[in-house]
Amino acid sequence: MAVWDLSVTVEDLGSDTPPVTVSVTSDLHVGGVILKLVEKTQINRDWSDHMLWWEQKQRWLLRTSWTLEKYGIHADARLLFMPQHKPLKLRLPSGITLRLRACFSSPVFKTVMGICQMLNIRHPEELSLLQPIEHKKKKKDKGSPEDIYDLTDVPLSSVSRPCLYNGTPAHFADSPEMEAIYKMLSVTQPPPSPEILAKLYRPASVVDKAHIHSRWLDSSRSLMQQGIQENDRVWLRFKYFAFYNIEPKYDMVRLTQLYEQARWAILLEDIDCTEEEMMLFGALQYHISKVSQSEPSMKSSSAAMDDLDSALQSLEVKMGGESSSAFELFQMQFYKFKLSDMIVHFRPKRLTLKGYKQYWFKFQDTSISYFKSKEESIGEPIQQINLKGCEVAPDVNVATQKFLIRLLIPAPEGMNEVYLRCDNEQQYAQWMAACRLGSKGKTLADNSFQSEIQSIRSFLAMQKSNYGSHGDTNASDESIDTHSLVSPRYHKKYKTKQLTPRILDAYQNVAQFSLTEAVMRFLQIWQALPDFGLSYVVVRFKGSRKDEVLGIAPNRLIRIDLSVGDVVKTWRYNNMKQWNVNWDIKQVAIEFDGNVNIAFSCMTADCKIVHEFIGGYIFMSTRSREKSDTLNEELFHKLTGGHEAL
Amino acid sequence: MDDIDAMFSDLLGEIDLLTQLQLLYFYCPLSPESLHELEDNDLDALMADLNAAEQKLAMEIQDRPSPPPPDLSSSSAGSSVSGRASAATSPLPPPPLQSSKPSMEEIEAQLKADKIKLALEKLKEAKVKKLVVKVLLNDGSSKTLMVDERQTVRDVLDNLFEKTHCDCNENWSLCETNPELHLDRTFEDHENLVEPLLAWTRDSENKILFQERPEKNEVFKNPQNFYLWKKNRKALKEMKDKDKELLIQENFCGTSIIVPDLEAVFYLKEDGKKSWKQRLFQLRASGIYYVPKGKTKSSRDLVCFLQFDNLNVYYGKDFKSKYKAPTDFCLVLKHPQIQKESQYIKYLCCDDAWTLNLWVTGIRIAKYGVSLYENYKTAVRKAAVSSAWANRSTPSGSNPSTPSPTIKSSVTHNALPPPPPPLAEILPPPPPNPVLPPPPPPLAANSSLRPAAPQRHLPTNFSPPPPAMDNLPPPPLAPPIEDALEDPPDFLPPPPPSVGFASLPPPPPVSSFPPPPPPATNEFLPPPPPDPTQSVFTSSGAPPPPPPPPPAGAAAAPRAAIKPSGSVRKGPPAPPKRTTPSLQGGGGGGGGGEGDFMSELMMAMNKKRGDH
Repeated sequence: MAVWDLSVTVEDLGSDTPPVTVSVTSDLHVGGVILKLVEKTQINRDWSDHMLWWEQKQRWLLRTSWTLEKYGIHADARLLFMPQHKPLKLRLPSGITLRLRACFSSPVFKTVMGICQMLNIRHPEELSLLQPIEHKKKKKDKGSPEDIYDLTDVPLSSVSRPCLYNGTPAHFADSPEMEAIYKMLSVTQPPPSPEILAKLYRPASVVDKAHIHSRWLDSSRSLMQQGIQENDRVWLRFKYFAFYNIEPKYDMVRLTQLYEQARWAILLEDIDCTEEEMMLFGALQYHISKVSQSEPSMKSSSAAMDDLDSALQSLEVKMGGESSSAFELFQMQFYKFKLSDMIVHFRPKRLTLKGYKQYWFKFQDTSISYFKSKEESIGEPIQQINLKGCEVAPDVNVATQKFLIRLLIPAPEGMNEVYLRCDNEQQYAQWMAACRLGSKGKTLADNSFQSEIQSIRSFLAMQKSNYGSHGDTNASDESIDTHSLVSPRYHKKYKTKQLTPRILDAYQNVAQFSLTEAVMRFLQIWQALPDFGLSYVVVRFKGSRKDEVLGIAPNRLIRIDLSVGDVVKTWRYNNMKQWNVNWDIKQVAIEFDGNVNIAFSCMTADCKIVHEFIGGYIFMSTRSREKSDTLNEELFHKLTGGHEAL
Repeated sequence: MDDIDAMFSDLLGEIDLLTQLQLLYFYCPLSPESLHELEDNDLDALMADLNAAEQKLAMEIQDRPSPPPPDLSSSSAGSSVSGRASAATSPLPPPPLQSSKPSMEEIEAQLKADKIKLALEKLKEAKVKKLVVKVLLNDGSSKTLMVDERQTVRDVLDNLFEKTHCDCNENWSLCETNPELHLDRTFEDHENLVEPLLAWTRDSENKILFQERPEKNEVFKNPQNFYLWKKNRKALKEMKDKDKELLIQENFCGTSIIVPDLEAVFYLKEDGKKSWKQRLFQLRASGIYYVPKGKTKSSRDLVCFLQFDNLNVYYGKDFKSKYKAPTDFCLVLKHPQIQKESQYIKYLCCDDAWTLNLWVTGIRIAKYGVSLYENYKTAVRKAAVSSAWANRSTPSGSNPSTPSPTIKSSVTHNALPPPPPPLAEILPPPPPNPVLPPPPPPLAANSSLRPAAPQRHLPTNFSPPPPAMDNLPPPPLAPPIEDALEDPPDFLPPPPPSVGFASLPPPPPVSSFPPPPPPATNEFLPPPPPDPTQSVFTSSGAPPPPPPPPPAGAAAAPRAAIKPSGSVRKGPPAPPKRTTPSLQGGGGGGGGGEGDFMSELMMAMNKKRGDH
């Protein structure tokens, strides 16, 4: 057989070095070519990750037993000999950019699996890679070089990576730097400054939202084949909103990144919510950022146990002290934390403007009682009000030193409105915290009392600092600008001092959560939004001449009429009989039960992307039935691959 | 150390006392005078419950080395009137001084710690509120039971299942009605019953009903009607079971509970005004919103109408006439404590019953989340158990039988035709709910109660009830005795057509599985012990006595009466009504009449105390 020269560029020798030429025959297999090549370079190193890339055909020669003839390679072929794993700048949902080695030769699906394994994210099938949006404002960009955390030294391995007892992968425990990076991955980022938030791109319409989805990389082809070069930037994102088996114990990174993605989706109005929901999201973000500073890793503690312990402890202490009656001992238990104060009390009467009167107030259990004076406080109170089930609202203006607590107390006849006016911040924080606990049926002995006081004070501080100067809002961690917790729409609508009480109001329902609980709660509310999980594509239905939007959700497809903005039709996957893609005319055709047929062509994204979304969701829905934990890669490609899978 | 011991025992005695005081916290949905109208059997039931609690206490006290404080009976008797108030505020009596010695050793310290724990527990116990509640049944009769604040509606339902022998299907519910506001709502099974009842006013005409409410579980039977409500009805009707299952999975079993995406035009009664204004409302997990005039339906423009934290949803009745509502399909949202008309009550009214149900269910999902599904699953489990149990004691010809001794007895009464069902050994023992542990008070009754039984004030002088009434150990014995004794009189001679046991030869519906038609089965269920009605039966029957005396029959009548009307949904036309007319008739509850009910009870309690 004829011997001919094959020239191969060896990437590691530098781009200036001329190609290495090896003599081959057409029946030489690829492995043989590589062997000859390595011998020729006379460089002694580990070449095991290297493979041949055929530039004209944009394909890897991964089957080393195939002959050149089988591949159809002739002397004119431009081949590159290079490593399959190359550095990639990976932007995580949290906004952090990592530099790590990713596989450029396997299908993106597998590449993502490798990345997720390295980062300790379970269920990599839910994630994929997006090409970033090119920034046009490059002139301004030089100002702040972003931090890139380097993970390229992490050894590549295909076997499962060992983990430490606490779930941290071993390679993240190698050095303090690595540990720091792991912490970065598994701890939520502080809220962005409102200025940055305001500058970021926000989709204004459902069509805008559709554009992002044109950027998903093809899961069945390799990075190299999709034009991604070494050190290019890509985004790692959750793509399929069907999160399987979230387990906070094992999913620290996954949960954190999921939270970050959800948070940004809310802040940038990628998903719509109501004002009340936005306030709750804001409150949760505030709480999460606060707790994650004090509580570095996600863990939950049993509040009930703490309660009992502290109660017993206090009893012990009491009994050890000087003689006291058992009566006091009881009081200790129930009224251990007793609030009593002179407070100005006001009960609005119809058509009366002001009617403040001073009373001596006592807080016991979940009730407040008031007396004419301190001296009379041993006797019968003028009135006792049980706060359980009441509504508590602040009416505060730090600048004018107005500290009002508005109570709406349910009674058989309706709600009674009562105002408590406090003299100062300290008193207000205590009584406000007490009222909040009381409204939830908790006593002051509850261990959330102190933290409640703390958070009320820090919200007051926020109001103060915002009132005073506007510049140094991020000076201390205590004062987060509440504008950074809500989408920019509300920056215009509310001033900080209007916004803060509203977030505080929502905060009272979440303040007792542990970090994990708060993150889970955030995700739950996010998932309960009507538009959750929808990925949009602009399509044109067969027989129609106008653009419409197809929404792809974990369990259904929806058709949105752009002129009205309404969902006009819903099809559920479980009624789907089959779907086909005509790759030539780029049309997706779907058949549902009951002879319902739809067909559309995709305007904003390749129909492969739509195909992959549908097939991907169907794949996701098969997981629960699968007993084994191993990912059925083959099935995924079968469902999403299209013609390339054949 | 002695000091401390003495101190503690005194202390504990005081707490017991307190607990007993709480027991006297009476509650009746009707006016106080109507307490007199309680039927004898109700009174008996009450006494049994009270005795149970008291016995338990007494035993606990005896278990302890220290004797109960001497003044127990007198002081509790004296304070009966203030019992009411004491439940709410729990005034703590000042126990003696405590002196601690500096030189305590470790063991003593440990002892002390244990005692503290005990004291804490007792304190908790002392704070438990107990109510006596009258529950109305479908046939107009009622049951009176004691409920403590730790009991859930589920516990109470189980209790009622035992006492009424209904078919126990999952739709049985407790409902609260407020005649003044024309409202009613179904309690959710996981709710505590006592709390909402405490919100009722003293003179309230509110009632608690024990009813079948299929709408409570409809969302789990036909989830498509709620989650795919936009689709046409025909398609929804033809929904396959596996697709329904999938819908439940998607909406109730994920990380987040999904609330149906509802949108409808409602008429809203304006605060304090008489007019009703139309608005487009949307339901979201976070609350009810409306679309303001001239705005789009996009989330960001929605105005929050209300959130669910402190609100319950009710059905409104006859609002057309009462409030001049445009239709009679009304739902009401209010704070549970509001009992009278108020501007804080929100009234919404829609065009049809379908929409109304959709929304009430949607709001419940938003408010209670996964608890609803848990409740449903529990209810279905219970229904399955009790129906299996019911089937067990019904003759079924299809089962090749190898009668075992246990069964034999259970079959004796149906005696004649078919062979006994062999299921007995496979099936769980009759005690009503293997799934959930019985609620505390009844449990107490079962476990520590036997000695108390003889003291029951029965109108008749029967011999002490036989152990058979205690359902715990050998339950299968109970039913046969009862039935064997009771049947013959009205069954053997060609009975009137309506006789309950007429359906004995395997009634066709029974074999068609799940829950057999109530009339056929109810009498076969083993009588649960805590029910004094039952115990009247058994006690009368245990030794070979003559036909049961009239009072027992009277007691039986209301019990048997309950179920028939409610159970319409399940299949075959209800066979002729229940019981043994011949047995009916007697006394009917004239007994409890005179005197102050409370003082009567107190006397009873005191007597008991004297007995000890």
